[in-house]
Amino acid sequence: MMRPGLTFKLSLLLACIGVVASGATGFYAYHANRTMLVHEAEQNLLTSTELLGQRFSVAINDVAADAKVLAALPSSARVVQSDDGSGANDSRERLARVFGSFMANHPEYLQIRLISREHYGRELIRFDRNAQSAVRVEASGLQEKGQFPYVFDTLALPPRGIYISPITVNHEHGAHSAEGKPTLRLGTPVFAPDGSVIGVVVIDVDLASLLKVLQVDLPPGYQVYLANEWGDFLIHPDAAQTFGFDRGRRILMQDSFPATVPLFEQSKNNVLMNGLMRPNQAADHVLAFIRMPFGVADGNRFIVLGLAKPLADVLAGATLLGDSIVRMVLISSVLAFLLAIVFARALTQPLHMLAHAATHFFADHTMGALPLRRTDEIGVLARCFDRMRRDIRSQLDVLHTKQHELVHLASHDALTGLPNRMMFADRLEAAIREASAAGERLAVLFVDLDRFKQINDQYGHAVGDRVLATVARRLQAVLSEGDMVARLGGDEFIVLIKGALSSDAAPGIAISIMGSRCWSARVSVSATIRPTAPPPKRCCSMPMPPCMLPNRANTLRGCTIRTCSTRVRAARARRAPASGTARRTANRQTTRTPSASDRGSATRTPCCELAPSDGRQTVLSLTPSCAEAIQRGLRSYSRRAASTPPCVAESALR
Amino acid sequence: MHWGPLFLMRRTPRSVRTPANPQCKICRAWAAFFLVALLAGGGLFAASPAAAAESVLRVLAWPGYADADVVKAFEARFHAKVEVTLVDSDEALWDNMHAGRTPQFDVLAANTAEIQRYTQEHMLAPLDLAQIPNTRRQLPRFQALSSIDGLTAGGNVYAIPFTYSSMGLIYDRKQIAVAPTSMAELWNPRYRGKVLDFNSAQHNFSFAALALGYPDPFQLSPTQTRAIALKLIDLRRNLLTYYTLPEEATAFFIQHKVALMFGNYGTQQLEQLRRAGADVGYVIPNEGALAWLDCWAMTSAAAHRPLALAWINYMLEPDVSVLLIQRQGLANTLTPSPESNVNAHLVWIRPVADVPRREALWSRIVSGDLPETFK
Repeated sequence: MMRPGLTFKLSLLLACIGVVASGATGFYAYHANRTMLVHEAEQNLLTSTELLGQRFSVAINDVAADAKVLAALPSSARVVQSDDGSGANDSRERLARVFGSFMANHPEYLQIRLISREHYGRELIRFDRNAQSAVRVEASGLQEKGQFPYVFDTLALPPRGIYISPITVNHEHGAHSAEGKPTLRLGTPVFAPDGSVIGVVVIDVDLASLLKVLQVDLPPGYQVYLANEWGDFLIHPDAAQTFGFDRGRRILMQDSFPATVPLFEQSKNNVLMNGLMRPNQAADHVLAFIRMPFGVADGNRFIVLGLAKPLADVLAGATLLGDSIVRMVLISSVLAFLLAIVFARALTQPLHMLAHAATHFFADHTMGALPLRRTDEIGVLARCFDRMRRDIRSQLDVLHTKQHELVHLASHDALTGLPNRMMFADRLEAAIREASAAGERLAVLFVDLDRFKQINDQYGHAVGDRVLATVARRLQAVLSEGDMVARLGGDEFIVLIKGALSSDAAPGIAISIMGSRCWSARVSVSATIRPTAPPPKRCCSMPMPPCMLPNRANTLRGCTIRTCSTRVRAARARRAPASGTARRTANRQTTRTPSASDRGSATRTPCCELAPSDGRQTVLSLTPSCAEAIQRGLRSYSRRAASTPPCVAESALR
Repeated sequence: MHWGPLFLMRRTPRSVRTPANPQCKICRAWAAFFLVALLAGGGLFAASPAAAAESVLRVLAWPGYADADVVKAFEARFHAKVEVTLVDSDEALWDNMHAGRTPQFDVLAANTAEIQRYTQEHMLAPLDLAQIPNTRRQLPRFQALSSIDGLTAGGNVYAIPFTYSSMGLIYDRKQIAVAPTSMAELWNPRYRGKVLDFNSAQHNFSFAALALGYPDPFQLSPTQTRAIALKLIDLRRNLLTYYTLPEEATAFFIQHKVALMFGNYGTQQLEQLRRAGADVGYVIPNEGALAWLDCWAMTSAAAHRPLALAWINYMLEPDVSVLLIQRQGLANTLTPSPESNVNAHLVWIRPVADVPRREALWSRIVSGDLPETFK
């Protein structure tokens, strides 16, 4: 399930853009295609309509030519002049045969008549169409036709003039098949040799057959419209709407197609309309109307001819194109959708990488994944991010370094590099906890340098500093890994010995501390913490002759137990004050000068046991003999140290 | 970036809650608008049944009898709704009246001949003249309802005269200086080829009967019919041609300089001819001129009879009746016609006894059959 994040929104937006663009293009193409097709169809239809009109005119002219032929026959004039329609007349019969052959050869002719001017327009020769054949009407069937315009208007024409009648329904009684049919009448005058008009030849043409001639090569689906000057429909796809005036209800083209009004007002020569752009004018069709000149009489001066083509035929190609456009749009929409997803993900993936790198700031593997080598904005961002990270890292490193230094400075003595009092206290606490937990022992040794002040006074502070540093090194060299030496301050050092054997090792270490020939120090008693039996409370202190060896490294040699016991004896002899302060004062005194009371008998006793502290100072509970031995040893060392040349220096401290 | 539903509306970050959320406000405004629109629509729909509770008057009339402004004034005055259906021929009128089992209209306008036919078929309801006080404004000849055939039957009045037009003679004042006084002028050889006649069996036989002086032009004996047929053949031989439409008549009149014409459309044709440039006059011959009289009648299926009678009364208002003269060129029953004198001899058209015989004869006459063929 995609979160509605940037990826989703971006891909949706891009997909929408793609779909909308392709859809709009497809729609516009489809719409433009339809419009073009319809315009094309309109123009073609107009051409077709004009051709149709020309064909109509040609057909009428053909009929007119026939009429002229008949009227120009010399026998026509003769018959008209001599005959009154009754009685036998050979020339009339011969002429009638000519008329008959015309009738036979033109099935579209409903009537052919030769009408005299005299006798109220009496017919002389008349052929009527009767079903498929022609019938000759004779004698009493012949009628007076002078009241009809096709007689009196034709009589007014010049030679070779043609009268074209309005197209009306034939209601003449006795007209055989012609009765009730829409008819067009063409007349031409017959002239006597002296130039006077004596009669007319009239040909009645069936409009339906004329229409058939017109439609002979019109494609199926095309519809023909014809209207007279007043707009009455003469030809209409729906036959019920033709010749409405004949039934008393006029159906006008101006009412059915209001767009044709300019045609009837003679302000335009043709009118085009289509159902695509103006569905209310022409529903589902493309229509073209033209105005054609026709007759002469008012009401018959022109006719309006129209053709209609179904819109579906015109747009068939557009429909196919529409289908394929829809398919293309769907395909490109799907493609757009997929590409949108791909692109959105491609765009947001570097952002994800950057976010991941930001959250895993200090992990190096994330930096390798960043797009640092890109040349676009995302590459710039990644490089800036990388730079920022490096800066932060370096600053943090510097900070850490300084922090370490600070900690070191806070917890170590600047001069000697040994841990200071605070750190020692922490370590001691920790060690006490560990030892109590493990049931082990601890040892703490106080090391106090004798006659340090004299060194300082005599040689200066710089030398004194170097002495302290050297002592610190020596101390460190003596001790093992787990032990710790710290500088309490001034010339006092303290040693912490941890481990199970600390109580045993502590005296040894103390002696080894003191074992250096070239320096005198006083190792004050240390104490162990033993959880069970309280040790005997003994304390003794031993003076430590000062060491007067500037610039020499001293080696501390471990002194033997025996020697320790000797010295302990020596120390025991001097044991007088019991309190700590008095002891300390006594120690100080004894550091200055060795006293005679230091001599004592040496006894071989086991070494010391460390006793718990009495509150202020943890002391090493040495057996008296041990203490004396240590004391003696120290004195003898100090004497020897005073007289012996400087100690051998060791090049390196352990 | 938080994309709200509309880019233009910035939504505050989620952590800050604004007291008035603008989007909610607009939603509420649209909802209120739609609710109001629905209520208004509902109110309108509720109102229209109330309007439908108003009475509806269904009128069957001829063009020009119930113009839109006339109808609107009636609707306003009587708080009713009027539905007008127009017809342009007697056949169309007949078809409309016989559309359902009962007539689908409340009032209709028809000529006296048709009124008689409908009365015989019991499709009309008697009228209460007391509710049509405007009849007292009519000319005396139109108030004498019993003198007009077809208006009354069995003592009841079924129709009220409304408008009429006569079929007199139209003559070209340039060619005929003095107005002709007789129908026989149509047969005057002086006007050979300058006469126009209307192509209609009924009217031709009737006015020819008048010209021959027969008492009843609408009931003719076979002898009379034959005589009239021959008379009409003589007319055929004298005239220029027959016309059907008024435009045809005008076209022939102008183009062929016609002198005299049988004006089937009466005074209505005069306006057309004058507009075409002819200087014409109109006269009703002494023998009498045929005239059709259109009347208002109420159907037997009228739902609101008082409203129907109110309509008939309204049609006889002077300012409504005068529109007939102004707009249609017809005459009304309140004021005398300017073209003819008040006492002109008008012969109201009545149903003809033997229509098919007249039609058959007329067809032969028009087609040019010789007189010898008429037995």
